[in-house]
Amino acid sequence: MSIANKRLLKEWKTVQNEAYPGIEFFPTDSMLEWNVDLVIDNPLYPDVYRLGFKMGKGYPLESPSVQFVAGDERPIPMHPHVYSNGHICLDLLGDNWTPVHSVASVSVSIQSMLCQNKVAERPPDDAQYSKNAPRDPKKSLFEYHDDSV
Amino acid sequence: MKVTIKQWHQVSTWHWKLPADDDLCGICRVSFDGTCPSCKYPGDDCPLVIGDCNHNFHMHCVLKWLETETSKGTCPMCRQVFRMKGGDVLSADNTNQSEINNVSQGSDAVMDALD
Repeated sequence: MSIANKRLLKEWKTVQNEAYPGIEFFPTDSMLEWNVDLVIDNPLYPDVYRLGFKMGKGYPLESPSVQFVAGDERPIPMHPHVYSNGHICLDLLGDNWTPVHSVASVSVSIQSMLCQNKVAERPPDDAQYSKNAPRDPKKSLFEYHDDSV
Repeated sequence: MKVTIKQWHQVSTWHWKLPADDDLCGICRVSFDGTCPSCKYPGDDCPLVIGDCNHNFHMHCVLKWLETETSKGTCPMCRQVFRMKGGDVLSADNTNQSEINNVSQGSDAVMDALD
């Protein structure tokens, strides 16, 4: 079993034993892909939102690829750091990744990013980005601007 | 009653004595008294390092992290430059002799064999 699998199995055990209000974790059998459903305590976000996590063999030394995934009653939330294709501009997922983060800690960060938001808007460059973006958000070079939202 | 001991078994346990009382390596989430995911035998074969920032890791785990580009040589916990306590900066450049010396000094200081 790879290092990534071992670590993700431990994470799965942890999230089953600890309370994460408003967050539900659905790992796949391989453990290398998880879906995470978020409920947000903010009137801007009345729906359930689904995050898709993909971990490579280098996880947790390498960051996971994380984005919102649209589905039945699972819209992509409106947020100045969330593109309409589901990609998220968040330093934690790129330059500021460290291996002490986990599926759970990233989920909590994104949940609180939505919880604190006051403007239901797309990023200013959404139309252009969503048209040309690579499929894997990790291949995008985000500029992390405006930490106030 | 007089007892003559003919034979006895000594049993001892050990654990790493760390300045902070966290017990899992933040990188692999395995207990410090266990091994990093690449090792089989705990103890001196899979030593720990203590950072100047007082964050601890399995040495093999933190070395792998420091080799990555994203690490920029920083501690995964606090993002300060990772330096071993009382030692040099732990980097891919001095992984060989100097680090082995440092680690053995470090392990003398932190090993606490209990009987």
